[in-house]
Amino acid sequence: MTTLTLKKRKPLGIDRRPGFLTYGLLIVFFIGGTYPLYWSFIAGSSPSSVLTETWPPLLPGGLFWQNVGQVIDTVPFWMSLLNSVIVSTVITISVVLFSTLAGYSFAKLKFRGREGLLVFVIATLAVPTQLGIIPLFMVMKQFGWTGTLGAVIIPTLVTAFGVFFMRQYLVDVIPEELIEAARVDGANMISTFWHVGIPAARPAMAILGLFTFMTAWTDYLWPLLVVPQNPTLQVALSQLQSAKYVDYSIVLAGAVLATIPLLILFILAGRQLVSGIMAGAVKG
Amino acid sequence: MTTTLTPPEEKSSEAVPPQRAKPKLPFKYRLSRWDVKASPYVYIAPFFILFGLVGLFPLGYTFVVSLNKWNLLTGPGGFVGLSNYVAELNDPFFWNSLFNTVSIFLLSAVPQLIIAVVIAAVLDQNIRGKTFWRMSVLIPYVVTPVAVTLIFSSAFDEKYGAINNLLQFFHLNPIMWKTETFPSHIAIATMVNWRWTGYNALILLAAMQAVPRDIYESAALDGAGAIRRFFSMTLPSIRPTMIFVIITATVGGLQIFTEPKLFNPTTATPGGPQRQYQTTVLYLWDLAFNRQNFGKASAVAWLLFLIIVLFGLLNFLISRRIASTEARSSKRKTAKRLAAYNQNKIS
Amino acid sequence: MKISRRTKGAAALAGIAAFALIATGCSSGGSSASSSGSSTDPITLNVTTFGTMGYDDLYKQYEQLHPNITINATIIDTGDNAKTDWQTKEAAGAGLPDVQAVEEGWLSAVMQVSDQFNDLSQYGANDIKDRWVPWKLAQATDAKGRIIGYGSDIGPEGICYNSKDFAAAGLPTDRDAVAALFGGDSATWADYFTIGQQYKAATGKAFYDQSGFLWNAMVNQLKEGYYKTDGTLNVEGNAQLEALWTQLSSATASGLSANQTAWDWGKGKAFTDGSFSTFVCPGWMLGVVKGQVTSAGGDATSGWDFANVFPGGAANWGGSFLTVPTQSKHPQEAADLAAFLTNAQSQAAAFGVAGTFPSVTAAQSDPAVTGTNDLSTFFNNAPLGTILAARAKGVVAQYKGPDDSVIQSQVFGPAIQEIDSGKADGATAWNDAITLLNQLVVNK
Repeated sequence: MTTLTLKKRKPLGIDRRPGFLTYGLLIVFFIGGTYPLYWSFIAGSSPSSVLTETWPPLLPGGLFWQNVGQVIDTVPFWMSLLNSVIVSTVITISVVLFSTLAGYSFAKLKFRGREGLLVFVIATLAVPTQLGIIPLFMVMKQFGWTGTLGAVIIPTLVTAFGVFFMRQYLVDVIPEELIEAARVDGANMISTFWHVGIPAARPAMAILGLFTFMTAWTDYLWPLLVVPQNPTLQVALSQLQSAKYVDYSIVLAGAVLATIPLLILFILAGRQLVSGIMAGAVKG
Repeated sequence: MTTTLTPPEEKSSEAVPPQRAKPKLPFKYRLSRWDVKASPYVYIAPFFILFGLVGLFPLGYTFVVSLNKWNLLTGPGGFVGLSNYVAELNDPFFWNSLFNTVSIFLLSAVPQLIIAVVIAAVLDQNIRGKTFWRMSVLIPYVVTPVAVTLIFSSAFDEKYGAINNLLQFFHLNPIMWKTETFPSHIAIATMVNWRWTGYNALILLAAMQAVPRDIYESAALDGAGAIRRFFSMTLPSIRPTMIFVIITATVGGLQIFTEPKLFNPTTATPGGPQRQYQTTVLYLWDLAFNRQNFGKASAVAWLLFLIIVLFGLLNFLISRRIASTEARSSKRKTAKRLAAYNQNKIS
Repeated sequence: MKISRRTKGAAALAGIAAFALIATGCSSGGSSASSSGSSTDPITLNVTTFGTMGYDDLYKQYEQLHPNITINATIIDTGDNAKTDWQTKEAAGAGLPDVQAVEEGWLSAVMQVSDQFNDLSQYGANDIKDRWVPWKLAQATDAKGRIIGYGSDIGPEGICYNSKDFAAAGLPTDRDAVAALFGGDSATWADYFTIGQQYKAATGKAFYDQSGFLWNAMVNQLKEGYYKTDGTLNVEGNAQLEALWTQLSSATASGLSANQTAWDWGKGKAFTDGSFSTFVCPGWMLGVVKGQVTSAGGDATSGWDFANVFPGGAANWGGSFLTVPTQSKHPQEAADLAAFLTNAQSQAAAFGVAGTFPSVTAAQSDPAVTGTNDLSTFFNNAPLGTILAARAKGVVAQYKGPDDSVIQSQVFGPAIQEIDSGKADGATAWNDAITLLNQLVVNK
């Protein structure tokens, strides 16, 4: 007690190390954020009767791989995982590439109509283009693309957000002189873009890519409509729930299993995700 | 140097380069000028062409469909003018879905914001292992909405669900999470909150960290306690960020689909036996793909579109007001934050 | 999972069936053998079914008979979800399987676009069309006389009851005595509800899981249900229907319903903890009951039995057809598979697994149906096939209108939930249903 109050009083500044309360709260948040996932793992590794008990066990059971086996038996897990990887990767590459190109153009090149077109991009940020699913659905059917991964990919090949994001980033980070110097050296436009624009844009491209990948990966409504027989991971996962004999320990094993890819991504790129979210808030 | 390069760009259209350029200028120079003039358009072209095709055209075509009788399986069935809109505006299901959407949004936005502020305030201290704790609050964000719904839908089961089991253990009455309106809204809001609170906390944390530390120092020297500093200094300075978190959450919240769709798969009516938690996008989906009415569903899409644009305008007005009180740079940052939200919040 | 669930008995039966098929070279076997002989390229046939159809072992048999064919099966939980699934894929013009199971309840929606399904007459239907009871074949024939589906099961209804719970309430436990208790051949809904009151008085517990299945049965028993035979709606102002509704809602209001969520039943636990003691059982539901009990950790000792009686007389609920959508790239092979799955031996084998009572005449008297099997063991050795055959007598195919399944689930579903949860009395719920009917069906 005394030591605590002493500690508290000593540094008047705000950069003192915080007390137990802070760490207590952090642990509460941590548990709140992870327990549902852990609970799913417990349930997913136990017989389903565990789910109806008042106090679920504290430790996972031994049936996880058996339940995972049933998940794979019930839905085309590996195919849908591959589908999701393909879909998310293609969308990410496309969005990052086209956004960087257009963002660079808006940020650093001068051309007639630039301001107007930029306002147009900003205006469309708030436009919920996903409400266009009905005609998109009809068009996909018309072209016979339904049931293919292309139908999932095409509607999100570009986003206004990506263009705006890259523009905002590039407008500050590339000094005009750098571009001019490149031009003086005789570089044409595309090689200037390649040698000056891209290197400068790389951090923003990584962040945009990360979020685009996440968004594509988590999308559910549109893939549900266009590739039912050939599902993405999210659609396959949801099918677990309406498969015959809904055994919730299997459903939850599936939920855990389907979370693993993003958890890996999170472990690898979690710092960038955090700084990306925070950068979106302060920078630019 | 600079002058030789820039003027042709700016004048490009008024100047009459062909006359001069035709005979004399070397091919390389002409090519370079063409490069300078055309490149900007070439770079933005893919975006505009694709966006037009997959973003704008469908929205326009949705309007066309909404003016017709249009069946999912059998196709167009004749022009009906605005009668689909009239029908929807008179349809209690439409209003029910709007009510549910707004209710779920409020139940998610308000607690989410409060908890996010608390988390951000805790993270804003000089804690050990900053990166670890910051990452830890983001873990729910990597669980996809489908997985979140599967997990919580099991926990919220009315009979023998984890939460009702606990309630009954404490001799409380079980709550009808899946068949009563208000509890079901809480349940769905809980899923949204669980996934997004940490994300928002990080945004608010960034705003808090942008507050200059020396202000705190001097306040501390003046004898202001931590709580006092938080309410009189931290909160006011992050208010703009909070407003944007709310508004942008609305745009995402108005399009919520996955959670109510998968919350209770055993009911034949998507969104609960009495449509207790049927949100507008879920209603749209039900209309289009269960009830086969593409015409009415398109009308709903446009009505929702208008509502979201209305929120967008509101957003614009508020951001203008903030811009007058804030530095110019903050306008950009808020717009960017808004954009980031629109991008990520749609689930 | 599927392997562990199948029992040796069922597997052996299926094996014998398959062997008999080859040995006798019966019509369907012959056609499928010859046609797939023509193409030996490896192909994959996608099959989508719903509920429990008991085909898992048959797929394996078929793959063994036709080494070039791989069967990729998708099972959806309920007929309603299967309808949404089909509808979305039909509208998308892609994603439909080679063999699509269609439930009777939404067959009329399928018939609206019957040209999207192959006419099976072109793929050998005419050789085998005598195998079904005539009304089943008639249902699967569209207005132009095309046969678009092969009948699989029908759903004659009996009463599942829990003999342990009955014993606790002082009611008889023997299935014949239970049938007699409910009134035997002249059982009425009034009898059923009266016994429910006795049960409730003795145990304090609910009698049936929820009101929806009872309502379904009540409607299906009528000569004309939600539609008149001429295709016009028959709900609003239908005094007969409304009287039944009143009867049901007052029984529910007196506490006979356990207000369970159908198709969830507390993850099956409600079947094992005495939440309710009777259950509406069309043949195919027997497999569902077993599945629910099993997933809650119960088994044959949980006390479920099956009585040869049904309140209000003979009733049929559901039943399905196997169709071959025109999206299929292998219509001949798909039709052959559908023919195989619906031949007498297959249907008898499927019955032993899932209780799906065959619409194939020869299978109804097959020893595999009338004898003991895996499922009958679970139901205290009840002669399921014999009982269902008796329950099927007097069943007439009711005309189903285009929105029949919508009315069942989206119009009366909410009303059922209202009376089950006690939120509204019968009259209010009926009026709500009529409002919904006008919104969803009349003015759509």
